[in-house]
Amino acid sequence: MAAPFTLRKIGVPPNSANLTEARRRVFDFFRAACRSIPTIMDIYNLQDVVAPSQLRFAISSQIRNNAHVTDPKVIDLLLFKGMEELTDIVDHAKQRHHIIGQYVVGEGLVQNTGSKDQGKSDFLKNFYTSNYF
Amino acid sequence: MASLSATSLSFKAPSTRSTRISQVLRKASTFQSISFGRFQSSKSLRLQISCAAKPETVQKVSDIVKEQLALSADTALTSESKFSALGADSLDTVEIVMALEEKFNISVEEADAQNITTIQEAADLIEDLVQKKPAA
Repeated sequence: MAAPFTLRKIGVPPNSANLTEARRRVFDFFRAACRSIPTIMDIYNLQDVVAPSQLRFAISSQIRNNAHVTDPKVIDLLLFKGMEELTDIVDHAKQRHHIIGQYVVGEGLVQNTGSKDQGKSDFLKNFYTSNYF
Repeated sequence: MASLSATSLSFKAPSTRSTRISQVLRKASTFQSISFGRFQSSKSLRLQISCAAKPETVQKVSDIVKEQLALSADTALTSESKFSALGADSLDTVEIVMALEEKFNISVEEADAQNITTIQEAADLIEDLVQKKPAA
């Protein structure tokens, strides 16, 4: 059995100097999140609901959502928010329905903002907002 | 006096020389044995690593890669196919490594993970870590 992974809470590190360091931090964050998945499934009793690979896919899709960002400082801020979210989840500060709604079920309970779904058609966008267009 | 000292010196000299020689010989023999032992074990380790990855490990790695990259079941995956050639970006590669970590119950260091570009390398690294694990 591999040694259990514990999320160490480090203080805020200085900004990354360039894109490669920001990239490295993204991968480190992703690895930390994936290694915390067994703990998360244990805390929130998600064994019957979701498989670890689905949770990994949810995390990676959230990261991919912001893959178009090029400014290292913006990436740092996104990572900070991601790390905050991960720490909250691991600390059991959230509840089971939060996790299931946000990461297990499709787009989640809250509809995503329009800028993220660029592939949908204008007809559908208008259709979802009102009957008259 | 001088002759006495000379004789005493002369007596001492071979004894010291002999002890030194014997010490050197002892050290040399132990050194030789250690180096020989190490040489043997390193040779055997090297042989193990070169023919390490078992076919079932490679097969499991290929299955995980196919599932992760959503490839159809009949795409031919050789052990030398690179992840980037199969349409995986760097995040996909990290995700594949994490899936392998979970599947084989190992823990891959960051430095090792960056060198993985083909399926064969991944299988070799897994074999290494699986062998090291029960020894630790």
